Amino acid sequence: MEIYLDNTATTHYDTRVIETMVPFYSELYGNASSIHKAGKRPAEAIEQARQIIAGKIHCKPDEIYFTSGGTESNNWALKGVFYSNKQKGNHIITTSIEHPSILETANWLGEHKAKITLIPVNNQGFVDVDDIRKAIRNDTVLISVMHANNEIGTIEPIGSIGTLCREKGILFHTDACQSFTKETIDTEEQYIDLMTLNAHKIHGPKGVGALYIRKGSRCEAFIHGGGQENNMRSGTYNTPDIAGFGKAAEIASEEDVQKMSLLRDFFISEVSSKLEGVFLNGPVGGKRLCNNINLRFSKVKGKSLFTELNKRNIIISAGSACSSTRLTPSHVLTALGLDEESAHEGVRISLSKWTNKEELDYVIHHIIDIVDDLRKK
Amino acid sequence: MAKFKSDEILDLKGVPCPRNSARALLKLGGMEEGEILEIIVDDGEPLENVPASIEEEDNYKIIEKHKGEGHTWHLWVKVLR
Repeated sequence: MEIYLDNTATTHYDTRVIETMVPFYSELYGNASSIHKAGKRPAEAIEQARQIIAGKIHCKPDEIYFTSGGTESNNWALKGVFYSNKQKGNHIITTSIEHPSILETANWLGEHKAKITLIPVNNQGFVDVDDIRKAIRNDTVLISVMHANNEIGTIEPIGSIGTLCREKGILFHTDACQSFTKETIDTEEQYIDLMTLNAHKIHGPKGVGALYIRKGSRCEAFIHGGGQENNMRSGTYNTPDIAGFGKAAEIASEEDVQKMSLLRDFFISEVSSKLEGVFLNGPVGGKRLCNNINLRFSKVKGKSLFTELNKRNIIISAGSACSSTRLTPSHVLTALGLDEESAHEGVRISLSKWTNKEELDYVIHHIIDIVDDLRKK
Repeated sequence: MAKFKSDEILDLKGVPCPRNSARALLKLGGMEEGEILEIIVDDGEPLENVPASIEEEDNYKIIEKHKGEGHTWHLWVKVLR
């Protein structure tokens, strides 16, 4: 038996998603841009997916642009706004705990005349809206703050940040890859101008995502060519994956969120009560993503716990990333103020809608066993 | 010197995790029963991860491991079946 608890990295496909996709790999193979009969059903499927996704975030379907995934959408948001707003300025504000697809894109733009300000976070990973307010300049063109952090699950106050951006006339982008369908998102109420979404975190296919761009927001086209996606993102439509993305969004439910939240809190409480020296990275309760658990076990390297669990067919994520030859501490955990040794102790355990209590009881039993053992060595 | 003569050599110096493990398993998957693959990996994380990935498989056995030049290690892996 394998227990998969790395659902922040990716999720198992939902069978209903696969069933939706299969016809577009076989009899409905037509190009969705073609005006002949073969293109009709694929085009319908794409528009249906667009409507479903738009409905989930309260925007217009025409404001959804399909991409190859979250990384492309994040690249597009930053580069597109930067190159389209040069007459206004070149300053971009983001945070120190963003996904690498934001941080590396910001770095690259920094080498191309952009000015980048990274806002720090507190010890639970929250950004302070006042820090953003203070960082705003006359030449600020974009503020990008992730909705929920992928490592520690902190849910950022995007409504307050959106309100600030609207007051100041600055475009607001949020990376919602982890929170999409798990948290309420309303582009109108939260004043979101651009938003990154993807499918494979919600039991949909890999290699497909979307960028929401509010109508009227200045953002350059990202890929030029055949004119797909209203001339903003050309390329032959990936119909099966887009249809699957729509289905995955459609079947995501509030009940799943409630169930994962309860299991998350059960797991944290059980492990903390049964072992000494357990620390939670990130906040407790409602301001934490429903499926995210990130713990540190003092005197136990996260990689060692990860390896031992892996041998027992329990799949989690170590907090440290493997660069070419050595482990580097997570930039998110160090941004919380943890020293390198503590950051290496972090592990991330992320649930799915199919995770159940019996599995978690089994995992807790093995974690206690392994941590006790590793601490004796 | 190694006690075993290798049938093939796979140099994974500079190949990051987890691509190094995947390439090792791909190479081993194309070899015949009884053959031996010598794999060169970097010290550090690759030395932890590549052997661990191989040992998870029932079909292969790491029969020898030596420190190589600089920050490298040599693994000799036998295809069991």
